[in-house]
Amino acid sequence: MVGPASTVVAIGIVLPIVMLFRYSLNQFTPAKMMVDAFTIENYTKFFTDPFYVAVLFRTVRVATLCTAICVILAFPMAYCLARTRSRFKNLLLMAVILPLFVGNAVRAAGWMVLFGNRGVVNSILVGSGIVREPLQIMYTEFAVVVGVIAVNLPFVVLTMQAVLEGVDRAIEEAALGLGANPWRAFRHVILPLAMPGVIAGTILSFILAMNAYATPVLLGGPTFQMMAPTVYNQFAGLSNWPFGAALAFVLMTATLLLTVTSNRLAQRYYRR
Amino acid sequence: MDRQDSGITRRRLIQAGGALAGAAAMGGWSPAWGQSAGRVVVGTWGGDYSKLLSKNIDTPLMVPKKYEVVHDIGGDPERRAKMRAEARLPRGTSDLQGLSAAQMFEMNDAALCLPIDYAKIPNAQFLLPQMKYPYGIGHIYSGKVILYNPKLIATPPTSFADALDPRYGNKLGIIDIQYQFTMMAAALASGGSMTNYEPGKERLMACRKAGARILPTNEAMAQALQNEEVGICIMWKARAVQWQKAGAKVETVAPKEGIPLYISGFVIPKNAPNKDGAHVWLNEMLQSSAQEAFAEDMGYNATVTNARIPPETEKRIGFNAEERKRLIDLDYSYLAKNDAALKEWWDKTFKG
Repeated sequence: MVGPASTVVAIGIVLPIVMLFRYSLNQFTPAKMMVDAFTIENYTKFFTDPFYVAVLFRTVRVATLCTAICVILAFPMAYCLARTRSRFKNLLLMAVILPLFVGNAVRAAGWMVLFGNRGVVNSILVGSGIVREPLQIMYTEFAVVVGVIAVNLPFVVLTMQAVLEGVDRAIEEAALGLGANPWRAFRHVILPLAMPGVIAGTILSFILAMNAYATPVLLGGPTFQMMAPTVYNQFAGLSNWPFGAALAFVLMTATLLLTVTSNRLAQRYYRR
Repeated sequence: MDRQDSGITRRRLIQAGGALAGAAAMGGWSPAWGQSAGRVVVGTWGGDYSKLLSKNIDTPLMVPKKYEVVHDIGGDPERRAKMRAEARLPRGTSDLQGLSAAQMFEMNDAALCLPIDYAKIPNAQFLLPQMKYPYGIGHIYSGKVILYNPKLIATPPTSFADALDPRYGNKLGIIDIQYQFTMMAAALASGGSMTNYEPGKERLMACRKAGARILPTNEAMAQALQNEEVGICIMWKARAVQWQKAGAKVETVAPKEGIPLYISGFVIPKNAPNKDGAHVWLNEMLQSSAQEAFAEDMGYNATVTNARIPPETEKRIGFNAEERKRLIDLDYSYLAKNDAALKEWWDKTFKG
């Protein structure tokens, strides 16, 4: 039974990754695009060029910020969803899932309508006299962070809600009954029990944010550069497949390392 | 029930299935295919351009010749990557690819294009010499001009040096995907040439420091001009005509340093499955009726001499005798050799 699934994984994931890694060791020449070689010059170029290192750090910064805000916003929502006995619970769940029905690019287009110089937000601000000139919201880090949070939030809420559903309400009531105030009950009882959901939601959000493409391109504009659009630009814009492959590998490795490290630290902390 | 009497036996069913599979393997069995002269797959940009190719070439000129024309729609970066990726295959998936002149040169430089057999293209006798390449044919052309909004820019610019001036601050708009033409215009404005873009870099950095807006696409620039966020930019005249039609209050000026040509055309990939069909399509692309329709619908100039463009349209989209003398072609070899370095400078230094 494991055979067919393993074959699909090998062909669909492992093989392209192996090929991509091999490409990353090749050389780029404008006329031939890729010349067979065995060199680490593409990786050297990345780590010795402050521009590309800055793009990686910017990506990590945006992903960390978006993930932190997502977790903070998602936990109360997930808790309410898990604890509610309302007959509208399914409707509330649908409201969380609904944004996932729309693609990232379409959602970013919606934000563009809101954030443009003549958009809804600026029209309200200028119309109400709060500002004289429209604020530059589009093509800023703020716009990207808002856009990425909007994409990731439903994933985090659903992940946390699934785990919180399994936390026995009696344990929470016992903590409160034994004299713990709501904050202590949350910190020492609910949060540790919900930790698997928090960690899963954090990992999911971080990976999605690190690899975000449509939102940074559409809301960040040409001057706000993150890793995934830079990878695409090398492949499609410059036909520099070797460097594009190296960038993709750096992005994959950074995402993996940061995810595994944070996961281990969180688990160690809550095991104490 | 007697199985012999039913008319459909297992053996007959297997025989019929085998015959059907055989016919399919012989080249596609279908009543429609039997009448078809073949399929031509045209790689092209989407949107209006693809629709107009259908309206002005495929439907009126190819369908009567029993050709089935299919569009493989995508951005040029993706389609160029596809050409490269398919290069090792004996049969590619497209018969033609729509590219700019610089990209056609680049693809030919990478040995991916089939030499054009002009003997198979009778309409090529009317082709303007600048549009005739051994590896591709120019379909439409326009020139890079200055666009400005007279309400925001009091003194009409006359040159690229006037347009790419830091004094306009954030009223100067620059299109990210037009980095080659922008660097070229800045070079021409600063003593550079078609084979040396270096002198323009300082000017561009000064504009950037003064607050010039960098917009991602041509469409974003159209919106910024409409909203009056941007008052001046450089763009192809054909686009300016389209934006004027859409209500943007912009005027155009042909720069005195020269008007860089923008040529869009088609190449045949070396491994195109239907090379003859591709030549037929190219011949129809050069039909005067198709060229006239593109001039009217899209605002680009015809690349053949026998197209009869109405004088009013010609005045709107074309260039007068004096301006025609200033039309300058790009140095495609320089671009192909330096594009990666130019883009790197653009991304890292100019935008960074």
